[in-house]
Amino acid sequence: MICAGVDAGSRTLKIALWDRASGRTIAAGVRDQGTDHDGLARELFEELLRAEGLPRERVARIVATGYGRGAVSFADSTVTEITCHAVGVRHHVPDAATIVEIGGQDSKLLRLNRDGTVRDFAMNDRCAAGTGRFLEVVASRLGAGLGSLGALARLADAPAPISSMCVVFAETEIIGLLASGSRREDIVAGVQAAIASRVAAMLGREAAPPVIFTGGVALVPGMAEALASALATPVRVCPNPQMTGAVGAALIACRQASGGAAGLGRSPAVGGPRP
Amino acid sequence: MNPPPKRISMEGLDLLCARRSAGAPMPAYVGPLRRHVAEGDRRLLRLEYDASPAALRLWSFLLTEEERLHAAHAAGAKIVGAMKDLGTVPVMAYALPNVVAFYPDGAWWTPCVMELSDGLFCIAQSLGFGESFCPVRAMLGAFVNRAHFPIPDILICSAGAVCDDFSAIAQRVESLGHPILWWEMPHRRRPEPDEPAVELPGGFSAPASQAAFVRSELERVRAALEGLAGAPLGDAELAAGIAEANRVRRLLADLRRLAYTAEACPMPALEMLIAEMLAIHFCSDRAESIRVLADLLEEVRRRVKEKVGIVAKDAARVFWVNPVADLRVMNLLEDSGGRLAGTEFLFSHALDPIPEDLPPMEALARMALADPMAGPSADRAARIVRDARAFGAEAVLVSRIPGASHCALEGAVIARVVREELAIPVVEIEVPPVADPMMPTLRSQLEALVETVQERRKR
Repeated sequence: MICAGVDAGSRTLKIALWDRASGRTIAAGVRDQGTDHDGLARELFEELLRAEGLPRERVARIVATGYGRGAVSFADSTVTEITCHAVGVRHHVPDAATIVEIGGQDSKLLRLNRDGTVRDFAMNDRCAAGTGRFLEVVASRLGAGLGSLGALARLADAPAPISSMCVVFAETEIIGLLASGSRREDIVAGVQAAIASRVAAMLGREAAPPVIFTGGVALVPGMAEALASALATPVRVCPNPQMTGAVGAALIACRQASGGAAGLGRSPAVGGPRP
Repeated sequence: MNPPPKRISMEGLDLLCARRSAGAPMPAYVGPLRRHVAEGDRRLLRLEYDASPAALRLWSFLLTEEERLHAAHAAGAKIVGAMKDLGTVPVMAYALPNVVAFYPDGAWWTPCVMELSDGLFCIAQSLGFGESFCPVRAMLGAFVNRAHFPIPDILICSAGAVCDDFSAIAQRVESLGHPILWWEMPHRRRPEPDEPAVELPGGFSAPASQAAFVRSELERVRAALEGLAGAPLGDAELAAGIAEANRVRRLLADLRRLAYTAEACPMPALEMLIAEMLAIHFCSDRAESIRVLADLLEEVRRRVKEKVGIVAKDAARVFWVNPVADLRVMNLLEDSGGRLAGTEFLFSHALDPIPEDLPPMEALARMALADPMAGPSADRAARIVRDARAFGAEAVLVSRIPGASHCALEGAVIARVVREELAIPVVEIEVPPVADPMMPTLRSQLEALVETVQERRKR
C-alpha cells in the first residue's frame, strides 16, 4: 500500500510517498511555496507519481498537514503538523522524547510520551524571532546565502549580542552592529544564539533527552549547536529534517487506510481553506 | 419535537428573533443583533451563536447593558462603577434601592466587538498606555470619549493584590478627574500553623486577621454606598442582597455542572463564557440576570434530557483557563473538535455561594479573599486541578491575555501543577483582542490539542 503525505508549509511544500510494504519513502519532493497552495501541491504530487511510474489509483490515501493543509483539495484528510512531526520523527528516532521543530514561520516544541504520542506542546505564535524567517532576513541583510550562514558562524570569535525581541528591530540592530564594525561572522553566530535562546525559553527546564531537532531550519549548519548550547543538553538533528512532517503525514495516511487511526484527521472540506 | 441544537450565524439568530416576535412575548430588550452591528459592533457578524431563544435573550441582555445603564442614570438611579473587584461590591450595591452597579473594566471587550473601530486603544495610547498593557486599557478610552457607559456617580476600586497594569490604568482614570474610592485587598496567604484561620468559599483558608482587615475595608465601602444612596445598608439588607446574588450563583453552578459534564455538550463555549460573566455584576440588572440564566438552564436541561448536543459526543473535553480577548476563539474550540469541560475565567470566587450563615460583612470579606487573583498562583492551579477532575476534562487550555500581568507567569505554574496532578495535556495560547491574523495558528494549536486527546484515548 502506498500513501502520501503533503506538508504545505509557509515557506516550502513537501510531499512524501510512503510504501508500507517496503517500509520506506519511495519518492519525495520539495518546492518553494507560492500563492496557489493547492495547484503547487497537485503539480508536485503528479510529478512524483510520474517519476515513479505510479498511477494515481495506487495511492491509497493522502493526508495533508502544515499551515496550508486546508487548501490541499485532493487530500483525504488533514492532520496538524504537530502530530505529523511527532510521528515522522519517531519513525526515524524511536526513542525521541523532545522534539524541537523550527520552520519558516513558527517554532514548536513537542514533549512525547514513551509510546511516541504527543504529551503536550508549545508553539511560538507571536513573532518571527524564533523562526527561519529570522535567518532569511539576516542572510538577506548580510548578503549571504542561507546555506553559508553555518560556515560563517563557525568563524565567529564572539557572537554579537542580539537583544531585540522582534525581527524588525533586530534587523535595525544588525545594521547598527555592521555600522559599528562588527564582523559578519559574529553577527550570524549571535542571531543563531538568539533564535536558539527564544526556542529554549519555550521549553523551560523540561527538555527531556533525547532532544531531536527537525524542520527546515535544522538544515542550517550551526543551528543544532546553538540550540544545544541554549538548552544545555545534546541535540540531535533528525535525518532528512525538512521532510519529517510529510513523512509523518504519509505514515498517518497508511494507519488511516488500514483503520488504525480512527478519529484522527479532519476532512479538508470541513476545515475549509486556510489562508 | 425540538430542532437539534446547533450554532447559527447572526442572520440566523435574527430570523429566530423575528419568528419569536410573532409568537410568545419577550422582554423589550430582546431584538435582532443587527441593530448592534449598525451601532458598530461588527464582530457580531463573524460569530456563531447557539440557535435558541434562550441564547437570543442572553445576547440581547448583554448587548443592551449600556442602554440599560443610561436609562437608569436618566431615571435618577445612582450608578456605581465597581472596578477590578469581580463580584463583591456589586453584591453590596444591589442591596440598596435605586442603585445600579456595573463593571467599567468590561470595556476590555469593546475593541473586539467593534473590531478596533472605536479607537479606544488609540485614546489609551495617547494617555501612555500602549499594547504592553492589558486590553482593559480600553476602559480609559471609554472614560474619555463617553460613548459607552455613563460616567458613574461613584467609582470603587480594589488595590493591593490586583493586577499591576490594572492598578496603573485605574490611577490614570483617577488622574483624568474621576475620583476613586480605593479599598485594599491583601495578598492572600496560607495561615501559619498556630494562627487563627477562617475557611473561605472555594475550599481555601486564610488568616482570620486578613479576613478582618478586608471586612474593615468593605465597611468603608458600605459607608460610601450609604452616602451615595442616602439610605442605610444594614445587615438585613445585605443578607437579602447576598441571598439574591446566591440565586445567580446557584443557577450558574447548575448550568456549569450540566453543561460541562453532559455526554453531549449542550451549550456552545461562547454562550457559556457570556453566561458566567453575569456573575460579576449581573449585567446591570440582577433580577433580569436571574431570568436570563433560568431560561438558559431550562434549555440546557432539555438538551441533556434529550441527549442532544452541539458537537459530536466524542469531542475532546477541554478545561479553559482565562477569558479570551477575541470572542471568535470560543467558536474555534468547537470548530476544532473540542468542547468545554470546565472553566476558570479568573473569577471563580464569584461563582461560589457566599456564606449565608455568617454575618454579611464577614461573608463578603471571606468571599472577596477567595479571589483567585488575590492568592498564590499555586492556589489557583489547585482549584483548576480540582474542577478539571470533577468535570472530567481531558486537557487544559490556558489562554493568555496579552499585556495582562497576572497572565505572564501563571500559565507555567498552572501547567506544572496540572501535569503533576492530572497528567493531561496543557497548552498555552495567546489571544489578542482581534486575533484574525493568528487564527490559522490558533486553529492549529486547538486542532493539535484535540488530536493529542484522541491519541491519548487509544493508549
